[in-house]
Amino acid sequence: MSRDYTRFTLSQRLQHIFMFVPFIILVLTGFPIKFPESEFWSVVMSAAGGIENARIIHRFAAAVMILDFAFHIVYVGYNLIKKRPSLADMHLVPNGRDGKNIIENIKYFLFLSDDRPRFHRFSYIEKFDYWAVFWGMFIMAGSGIILWFPVLFSKFLPGIIIQIAYIAHSDEAMLALLAIIIWHFYNVHFNPRIWPANNVWYKGTLTEEEMEHEHPLELEEIKAREEASK
Amino acid sequence: MPATISRQSILALLLVMLTALSAPAQQADAENCNLCHSLALLGIATPSNGIRSFEVTAEAYSHSTHRNVICRDCHTDVNVFPHPVEVAKVECYKACHITKPFALTGYSHAEQADAHAISAHGFNSKYSTEKNEAKPDCKYCHSNTFRNVIQDDVLEKNSEHCARCHEGEGLAGVILHVSSHSGHRTAEESIDVVELCSSCHADQGHMKQFDVNLTQVSGYERHFHGKALKRGMNEVANCMDCHRNHLNLPAEDPNSSIHPNNIQQTCSSNSYCHANATAKFAVSAIHSEPTTQNNPILFYVEWGFIILTAGTMAILFSHIFLDFGRWVGDIWLRRKEK
Repeated sequence: MSRDYTRFTLSQRLQHIFMFVPFIILVLTGFPIKFPESEFWSVVMSAAGGIENARIIHRFAAAVMILDFAFHIVYVGYNLIKKRPSLADMHLVPNGRDGKNIIENIKYFLFLSDDRPRFHRFSYIEKFDYWAVFWGMFIMAGSGIILWFPVLFSKFLPGIIIQIAYIAHSDEAMLALLAIIIWHFYNVHFNPRIWPANNVWYKGTLTEEEMEHEHPLELEEIKAREEASK
Repeated sequence: MPATISRQSILALLLVMLTALSAPAQQADAENCNLCHSLALLGIATPSNGIRSFEVTAEAYSHSTHRNVICRDCHTDVNVFPHPVEVAKVECYKACHITKPFALTGYSHAEQADAHAISAHGFNSKYSTEKNEAKPDCKYCHSNTFRNVIQDDVLEKNSEHCARCHEGEGLAGVILHVSSHSGHRTAEESIDVVELCSSCHADQGHMKQFDVNLTQVSGYERHFHGKALKRGMNEVANCMDCHRNHLNLPAEDPNSSIHPNNIQQTCSSNSYCHANATAKFAVSAIHSEPTTQNNPILFYVEWGFIILTAGTMAILFSHIFLDFGRWVGDIWLRRKEK
């Protein structure tokens, strides 16, 4: 018997798209300024229509991304109030099982064990992705807005904040880009068990087989719940 | 009549003037110096200096800054023929036969030379002769070779940049400045200004003998102004916009454009830069190459990010590497079993 399990709702999938499309645009219009002498980024800069255009596009994409993040905060807040989930049901909150899973996974990697850790709805890898973006959004949007209106912010914050924002924006951007193209892309594209792509980001569902492989604990729980309600 | 002039009107004015001023020089060689000096082989060979050419090509001269100034206006002690073997060097502050507009007096660069003399680049009695000579004089920055080939589009491109400082000067001031700059065609691209200043200030060996910040150029380059300029954003500040062109003074000098009392005025001096810049905005050190001494907060923020990035990537890479290793290992084991 094969059936599909909903993993991401339409709203969640759209939130992801409205995060990554601006992300790509922000990288393409921001990094040429971070690396002003790089030939590679020169090509990107000309494609974006020069630095003057790139700065406008960058701010527009930033606004979209910030709105998307703001929507996400409201969305999470609304669901917390409406559903009042128990801590165990808040699947993205790191817990003791993640620590256990990390150890199990390392043992598995090193051939000390032949059993992969049995993940629930979100593995520690996915939790890391989520919270990395969460932290990154505050750093990038916060520093970006300060750099957007430096004179305004200097009216009520010390001048050094502009310098800190400049460093934070540039360096956190590098960290975010590396985390995405190395970590996230490995886990959803280049991992040979996943290659060429995990298409759950637009389909929103996983097959029973995929569930058994990636989220066996969640599958078990769903089945037990269904059994109980019969 | 509005007190400020728009960039567009200055640009229009410039274009009109360019057309008017690009008429070829007529009286520049009134004394027929080129009868000899156009000869390619005219020169002198000395044991110490090697061969020194005295050739002045008509092409180079007629396109140079001083194409309207007769030779002896600058080479003042060349009064006899044949010329003396030793002649004094050209001094830029001497009045020449160009008439200053509305003044009927000889034009000279005395005003600029005076500013230069009291600036950080001027003579300093505390320094040795050698050290004083290592500082740029007029001709270091304004050498004719530097300005030989002048393209009109450079001026057009930079009119916006000029207008930023001269916007408040009213029409008469603008005409004076624009006519002077287009007549002399001295408008440089911002990137050339930075390159010129960097030719000394980025040279650590040269700058070490002076009591200056050695990280000025690298500090500028790591900041937004420097990066955006390299990407072709001409309206960002170049060195001269904040440090002035002739009266470059160290920050400790109360007359300096970058003295703590004046820096706010410098940042906000025109509407194209940081109009309404606050005092706190102005003190955020633009050239900071942070160290534990001069700016510990920035220093640790910067290192914090480097460690965070390196640490995170080390962990993530190890995880990916191990994960991939297990996959490869499994394939290998399966093959072995077969």
